[in-house]
Amino acid sequence: MKTLLPLRVNGETHELAVHQHWSLLEALRYELGLTGSKQGCDKGDCGACTVLRDGEPVLACCTLAATCEGSEITTIEGVADKDGPHPIQRAFDVCGALQCGFCQPGMILSAKALLDRCPQPTDEQLREALGGNLCRCTGYTKIFEAVRLAAKGLDRQSPVRYGEPAEGFLVLGARGRKADSISKATGEAIYTDDITLPRMAHGKILRSPHAHARIRAIRTERAEALPGVYAVLVGSELPTPYCVIPWTPDETALAIDKVRYVGDAVAAVAAVDEDTAIKALALIEVDYEVLPAAVEPEDALKEGAPLIHETDWKGRPRQDNVCKEVALDFGDVDANLAASAAVVSGEWFYEGSNHAAIEPHCALATFNPDGQLTIWSATQVPHYLHRELSRVLGLPTSKIRVIQPVLGGAFGGKSEPFDLEFCSAALSRKANRPVKILYTREEVFYSHRGRHPMLMKMTLGADADGTLKAVDSDVLIDGGAYHSFGMVTTYYAGQLLTGPVDMASYRFKSKRVYTNKPCCGPKRGHGSVQPRFAFECGLDELAEKLHLDPIQIRRKNALQSGQRTVNGQLVPSTGLNACLDAVEQSSGWKERHGKLPYGRGLGVACSMYISGTAYPIYPNEMPQSAVQVKADRSGRLTILCGASDIGQGSDGMLAYILAEETGILPDDIVVVSSDTDLTPVDLGAYSSRVTFMCGTAAQEAGRKLRQKLIGGVAGAWKLPEERIGVALGFLYDKDEPGRQITSKEAIWLAEAAYGPLGEVGAYRTRKLGGDYRGGSIGASPAYSTTAHVAEVSVDPETGQVKVEKVWAAHDCGRALNPQLVEGQIEGSVYMGLAEAIMEAHTFREGGLHLGPNLLDYRIPTSVETPDILTHIIETIDPGGPYGAKEAGEGPLHPIIPAIANAIFDAVGVRLRRIPFTPARVLAAIGQAEAARLASK
Amino acid sequence: MLRMPEFRVHRARSAQEAVELWHGLGGAEGRGKDAVWSAMYLAGGTDLLPNIKHRLFTPKHLISLELPQPQIVDEGDFLRIDAGVKLQALADHPLIQATLPPLASAAGKVAGPQIRRMGTIGGNVLLDTRCLFYNQTESWRQALGYCLKKEGTWCHVVGGPKTCVAAQSSDCVPVLLALNARLRLTGPSGERELSLRELYRYNGFDHLTLTPGELLTAVRVPKPAPGFRGLYHKLRTRGSIDFPELSVAVTGAWEGDAPSSLEIVIGAINPQPKPVKGLDEWLGRPLTDEGIEAITTLVHKATRPQGSIIGDPDWRRAMAGVFTRRALLELRAASA
Repeated sequence: MKTLLPLRVNGETHELAVHQHWSLLEALRYELGLTGSKQGCDKGDCGACTVLRDGEPVLACCTLAATCEGSEITTIEGVADKDGPHPIQRAFDVCGALQCGFCQPGMILSAKALLDRCPQPTDEQLREALGGNLCRCTGYTKIFEAVRLAAKGLDRQSPVRYGEPAEGFLVLGARGRKADSISKATGEAIYTDDITLPRMAHGKILRSPHAHARIRAIRTERAEALPGVYAVLVGSELPTPYCVIPWTPDETALAIDKVRYVGDAVAAVAAVDEDTAIKALALIEVDYEVLPAAVEPEDALKEGAPLIHETDWKGRPRQDNVCKEVALDFGDVDANLAASAAVVSGEWFYEGSNHAAIEPHCALATFNPDGQLTIWSATQVPHYLHRELSRVLGLPTSKIRVIQPVLGGAFGGKSEPFDLEFCSAALSRKANRPVKILYTREEVFYSHRGRHPMLMKMTLGADADGTLKAVDSDVLIDGGAYHSFGMVTTYYAGQLLTGPVDMASYRFKSKRVYTNKPCCGPKRGHGSVQPRFAFECGLDELAEKLHLDPIQIRRKNALQSGQRTVNGQLVPSTGLNACLDAVEQSSGWKERHGKLPYGRGLGVACSMYISGTAYPIYPNEMPQSAVQVKADRSGRLTILCGASDIGQGSDGMLAYILAEETGILPDDIVVVSSDTDLTPVDLGAYSSRVTFMCGTAAQEAGRKLRQKLIGGVAGAWKLPEERIGVALGFLYDKDEPGRQITSKEAIWLAEAAYGPLGEVGAYRTRKLGGDYRGGSIGASPAYSTTAHVAEVSVDPETGQVKVEKVWAAHDCGRALNPQLVEGQIEGSVYMGLAEAIMEAHTFREGGLHLGPNLLDYRIPTSVETPDILTHIIETIDPGGPYGAKEAGEGPLHPIIPAIANAIFDAVGVRLRRIPFTPARVLAAIGQAEAARLASK
Repeated sequence: MLRMPEFRVHRARSAQEAVELWHGLGGAEGRGKDAVWSAMYLAGGTDLLPNIKHRLFTPKHLISLELPQPQIVDEGDFLRIDAGVKLQALADHPLIQATLPPLASAAGKVAGPQIRRMGTIGGNVLLDTRCLFYNQTESWRQALGYCLKKEGTWCHVVGGPKTCVAAQSSDCVPVLLALNARLRLTGPSGERELSLRELYRYNGFDHLTLTPGELLTAVRVPKPAPGFRGLYHKLRTRGSIDFPELSVAVTGAWEGDAPSSLEIVIGAINPQPKPVKGLDEWLGRPLTDEGIEAITTLVHKATRPQGSIIGDPDWRRAMAGVFTRRALLELRAASA
């Protein structure tokens, strides 16, 4: 029952009709339309819903609206005033503190409350005050910077500063704002769940309580009869299997015959509101025949193990639970190991982890009267979603429009189609009204597609001088219940290890196994973070055995630019040595490594990562990325591109490149992205491909347009085109620089000369990779390189590891916007160190998730995230746009082994299993001590 | 979004009104795991509302406690902390910081900044016990087959049908126990006082000795003796948000390096916080390193953490000793 509630929000009194069991968050978002307050965790664990109540930060999701009468509520929408955004909001914009922006309204309110009560906070007070607001993108570094800047005082009227561009550039290389950051800072950015349509119904999905069971029958009559229920959907209505990789479809929108993990989707309901939908789910009767489950890969591989999939994707009977197996070898590993002066051999285990983007997945679907489907979804791959929706719904792609609204973090977790997208669309068709489905945080953990647990047996051999002779790797991959990108994962687990440290011979076997758990998939550093951990720890042990400095052994084996890796990948540019030099110097490595007191240590590790892949997921000859640009008489440019800005800032990147080419100011450039009706195809935000590929496409379109602007001006001035120069905001006569014409007027002249101005650009994949089966998987047009040094303190009595500081050097080629590059490096370091010390996506024996929420699944807060010092290394790549390479995934890899190696430096124990929990560290210290005593 | 089941909200302006409302709205039938709540009290809501979202409670009525400005008052021999005092206000209060530093420390370590500004000391004292198998959604618990504390017959922690070991997980309680705090309660038949030591019992599904419907109105803490020193150590994975995985409160009166009284209470191990017994032996004389080691061993022996909350129980047990040693070393050194 609703009652009238007078509520003071942002200085106004509202007469609200609210349900008494509604939280303040629900009242704000769904009654008042103040969608700036976000919902991330459902129950008080993440802080995204923070609002001020009488000036104090509180969690709106755990406050009843009905108890707020008499309080003054301030939401993010009330922070700006008639003079514009609040200084804190501006500071977040200026400092690049917003990536996906989803946590920031809450973060900004916590920061505001802090500065209101304590205008000059200490570092500790700052970290503490933001400790209840989880951010998954930034590593908090730029957030601290922003709050400090706001505390120092920021002129509200001054224009947003841009730094100096790189030499010879108009825009590129300057520290610039992100295109959308002020709209995120003010709560105006519209994420999927912020959209409401007239007559919209709410969908919910019924999920399996069993890890493995046959579905004998589903009865939906009682649910259908419940007043307020519009439609109920079961698996047999959407029988076409799908997969992001089109030739391995092993998943259906809803389970049909079998469920394969606790949380597998079984049925879906659309109803007048969520409460009714939840009630309806309870009325659906599913008759299960519970089957034995194989929860761990070792169990799944046993003789007689239950078959999780009885047939493969071609319908042929399966004999086992092996999803994909790859074995490749390059050079004579056995002979090289036998000849090595030192050999290290071990078994490492990498625990699974979830992306934990603060925005839960959400989709909203509607059909128009002509049968045209529009779906807004929190996806990072609109194009693949478009294709799979067509396949499963049986609709031509021309009848489907996919729109990605502003996205609240992804990290690979939104890079394939999910049940909620198919179900919202099918329910919408059935109910004849818009249907929205928003995951609970628990459902995010079930849908998962997170980091694969991997058990890695690895042997490394080197000559006495440290030359790496051989690497032998055997990886068992726990895939979970479905394929996802599984075949790519299985290749990546071997193919991506062969740089930036070169090796004379290499052999790998990798095997991905189905288990009765949520499906694993791509998480930032897809497939390669795990073997990188084993390898870089093994390399450290080799250095120890050979009495070599750990940095030296890496330098010694560094691949050179233009060299091919042992598995045949051409690496056009690598900046490993420059990265190592930078962190060696800034961390004081030479003076401190091996010399710090017991309990304190330094560790190093490095890595290499792809900038996109030659492999486009479905074979085709069309460009991987395309850009269209139009210039209009107002002097503005509009860029259309299918690329997904998932918070990394790709919209801004497109604008900077067009500004660079045309001289039109970045603030006069509009980017329209990721809308399949409006934008040319880009394959999506994965494999670190966007800057490299879309950037190249944008560069091409920009150059064509630039030529027309020059041509227009040259024609009007009756000068040869070579004499016309392009500057920011104007064009000029190079011989007579005082003679200038604004960019806007240049557009008029060009339009007069050539007609309406529109240009296109594209990126096409060259043939890349080794000449063998699978040789193109992991082949990239360019590779980034990274080196990190981590400093840790280890409490030898408790086993607690504190990462004190991280020095991160990343070679991204040309840094198109260094502020955004730093943000990617800092965020990567944060996410990797979280996996190293804390996160564990783990299950009970029967396959039940141990804690699918953001309280039990811990991600680091501002309090324990260390200071991160970044060095951008610019080894200009011959193939990248202006020499740019990736920055979003590579810098995650080395932090985990760097921490492991630092723990060794601190307390002399080698940890081969993540996370490095205090109990494990303490046990390792105890064992080492016992061994030392025994040897005496 | 994880939604709450339907209920009605009633606002009470006095303790008496709240108690009358509670009874008038049908109160509760049964107690502990068998309780069926028609009405429940709502203070800060930071424990109760997530539990309601998890369908651990499905009351028809919530009585929002909106009593006049809760205060911290010097009553001579006692400090009275009204139950509605927010945890951050407690941590920041000059009188608490000056008189009872370990209590200010404990209150300042509860959860995160927002929850400390919502949650109250009363709620922290009466916090429901916590367990990995209990504080989960309805669908998760259904998949588990439920548990002894709620709707089930089996404790998944100890693997048995009798004992529920869900952990008392309040940060303030170990300190308040060490300080011998008292509770002021209002019930239908008037007010009474109860020693905090009599509040808890070793039964995770019915860990409070209160009569259902009794309302906690204030916590009264005896003013400590001269020479008072105390510390609160909290073991947690993160520096914010997390509940304790283990907690140690150490308080006492000291003269130089000699304690004349000593209390050690271990929390977040099982349903009942554990005051450590047998400390008298070390009173009235300088506390030596050997004495500290002996007490550490005593604490280690007395601490039997259960696997109901995260953190390896053996490790948490070892940490009880480590934290005790550190606390005693620090308190002894404070004489200098």
